[in-house]
Amino acid sequence: MSSATASDSAGAPAADLATRLYRDMTRIRTVELRMRRFIDEHGFGGFWHPGIGQEGVQAGAVSVLRREDPLFYAHRGLGYALVKGMSLDELLGDLLGRVTGSTGGKGGGTVHFVDPDVGVLGQGGTLGSSFPLGAGAAISARLLGEDKVVAIFFGDGAAARGTFHEAALQASVWKLPLVWICENNGWAISAPITEHSPTEDIADRAVAYGVPGVVVDGQDALAVHEAMAEAVDRARGGGGPTLIEAKTERVRGHYEGDNQPYRDDLEGVGTPGRDPVALLRSRLPEAVSEELDEAARVEVEAAFERTLAAARPDPSIVLKDVWA
Amino acid sequence: MTAAEPAVSAPTISYARAINQALAEEMRRDERVWMMGQDIARMGGVFGVTRGLLDEFGPDRVRDTTINETFIVGGAAGAAMTGTIPVVELQFADFLLTAGDEVFHKMAKWRYVHGGRLEVPMVLRLPTGVVGGAGAEHSQSLEAMAMHVPGLKVVLPATPADAKGLLKTAIRDRNPVLYFEHKSLYRQKGPVPEDDEFLVEFGRAAIRRPGRDVTVVATGLMVGRALEAAERLAAEGIEIEVIDPRTLVPLDMDTILESVERTSRALVVHEAVRTAGAGAEIAARIQERAFFSLDAPVWRLGAIDAPIPQDPELEQLCIPSVDGIAGAVRELRAL
Repeated sequence: MSSATASDSAGAPAADLATRLYRDMTRIRTVELRMRRFIDEHGFGGFWHPGIGQEGVQAGAVSVLRREDPLFYAHRGLGYALVKGMSLDELLGDLLGRVTGSTGGKGGGTVHFVDPDVGVLGQGGTLGSSFPLGAGAAISARLLGEDKVVAIFFGDGAAARGTFHEAALQASVWKLPLVWICENNGWAISAPITEHSPTEDIADRAVAYGVPGVVVDGQDALAVHEAMAEAVDRARGGGGPTLIEAKTERVRGHYEGDNQPYRDDLEGVGTPGRDPVALLRSRLPEAVSEELDEAARVEVEAAFERTLAAARPDPSIVLKDVWA
Repeated sequence: MTAAEPAVSAPTISYARAINQALAEEMRRDERVWMMGQDIARMGGVFGVTRGLLDEFGPDRVRDTTINETFIVGGAAGAAMTGTIPVVELQFADFLLTAGDEVFHKMAKWRYVHGGRLEVPMVLRLPTGVVGGAGAEHSQSLEAMAMHVPGLKVVLPATPADAKGLLKTAIRDRNPVLYFEHKSLYRQKGPVPEDDEFLVEFGRAAIRRPGRDVTVVATGLMVGRALEAAERLAAEGIEIEVIDPRTLVPLDMDTILESVERTSRALVVHEAVRTAGAGAEIAARIQERAFFSLDAPVWRLGAIDAPIPQDPELEQLCIPSVDGIAGAVRELRAL
C-alpha cells in the first residue's frame, strides 16, 4: 500500500481495502439500479448515462485520491463523485433537478456535479475538454506549493480528442502531477473501439509523451486501485503523468433508453464473471457484503425520498451565477 | 462619462509598454498571477509585449507553450478554477477559433453551470485587428462573437492609458475577460500613469471629443480614425462627439444614449465586419431606447463582407478609413 492512498486506508491491510472498495461499489450500484427504476417508472427529462459495470474503475481509482486532490470525472454515472466524498443528496439533487443539488438546481442528468471542498471539479460537457482543464489545475497546485495530484477520467471515445494531445504533450514536458484514467468500455456511443483505434490498447499512446502507459482489468477494483496508487505516487513525487487504461464493459446503452441495436457483443456482458461488484463480493465474507448491501439500500432509499420531496428551483435561477 | 484624465506627470509610453507595465505591476502585487502563451517568455512575445517578464518573474510564472491553443486557454481555465489567476496570450485573436470550446464554453459557462461553486478569474490577451499584411487568418476583429456568448467580459483599449488601466482591472476581476489589444496600436504613445492603483473601470465609456452634431461611437483602432475625421469635419463646421465604449461587455449605453439625445444622429464605427458586428447591437439599442430623439437612422461603418486580403494596401480598403468616416458623417448630417 502506497503512502499516497486516501487517509482512511493508508497502510490498511488488503482485506480492509476490499471492504472499503466494496462499500463504495455497492453504494454506486445501488444508486445505478435505483436511478434505472426511477426512469422506468417516471421517465426522465435529462440525460442519464449509466455507469453500471464500470464501478470497479471508478471506485478503484478514486479511492486512492486524497480529499483535496482535484478530480475531473467522466459522464458514466456518479460513482466518481460519490467515492470522492460528495454528498449523495447533492448528487441526486443535481440528477433530479432539485434545489438540494450541488448546483442549486441547475442539474438534470449526469452533468455538472461540483464540490470544490472535496476536489470534485466537474466534467467537460464537450468530451475531452477536461484534459486542458486538469492540466491547468495541476499548474495551480504547483504554483501554490500544494502536493495535489489531479485525476482525469475519460472514455475510449474521448481519447480521440486533440485536446488530449495538446494537454498531454505540455503536461509531460512540465511533469505535471496528473493521472489520466481511460475507462475503455469498447464503445464510443455506437462506434466499436476497433473502428476508432489503430492499436488494441489506448495506453500505447503514452509512449509518444514519454510517460508510463498501464493496462489494467477494470473489472478488478483492487487491481485498478494498485495501478492508480503507483501512478498517484509517481505524480505526487514529481515524476509526471501516467496514462492508465482500464478495460471495462458498457452494460447498458449510451444513455438509459438506448436499446443498442448497433451492438453485437452483448452476450456475456454484465454476467457475474465480469461484474466488478460480484467479483469483489466473492472475495469478502458473505456477512460483510450483505451488511454493506443493506446499508447502501437504506442510504440510497432515504436519499431518494428526501430528493424527491425537495423543491424544484425557482425560475429566477436561470439568471443566477452568470457573473461573479 | 468622460475618461479620467491621466495625471500630468504620467510618462509618455507606448501602448505595448503600457500592457507590459500592467502585467508586471499585477504580478508583483499578487503572486497568484501568472502567464503562458506561445513565445511570450524567452522571446518576449512576437510583438515584444511581454519582454523582460521572464527575467523578473521566472519560468514558473512566465511560461512558453508550444502550439496548443486548447491547452493555453483550457489550462488557464482549469488553473483559474483552482486558485491562481492566469493571464494568457493567444498569439493572434483569430486563434480564438482554435480554442473555441475552451473560450466559449469553459471560460464563459463553468461558473454558471456549477451554480457559482467555481469561478474562472482569468484574462485572455488577444492581439486583434489588421497590422499590415498578416492575412485573413491573423487580422480579424472577432469581438462580436464574444459578446454573443454570455459570461465573457469584452475589453478593447484604444489608448495606452486604457491599455494599462483596463488590463489591471481585468486581472482583478473575478470573471473571465477577453482583452482585445490592437496590433496596429502597439507603437502608439500616450501619457500613462505609473500608479500601481491606476484602474479603468469596466462599463464606463470615454467621450474622446465632445460635439453637438453627430454622435460617433468607435472602438479600438477606429477611435483614432474617428478623432482624425473629427478634425477635418470641424474645419467644415461639423462637430462630432466621439465616444469610445472601452468595454463591450459590460456596455455603457447610458453615455451613448445621453449623447444621442443631444445630437439626434448616431454613427457606429468598428473594424470588425459590419454584418452582425458590435455596431448592429449598439445601433439596435439606440433605436430601441432613443428612437424619438433621432432625426435620422442610426448608421454603421465596418469592414466589408470579405476576408481580409494578405496585401497590406488591399487590407486597408476593407476597413473604415478616416475619409470614409468623414464622408458618412457628412451624409448622415444631411439626412
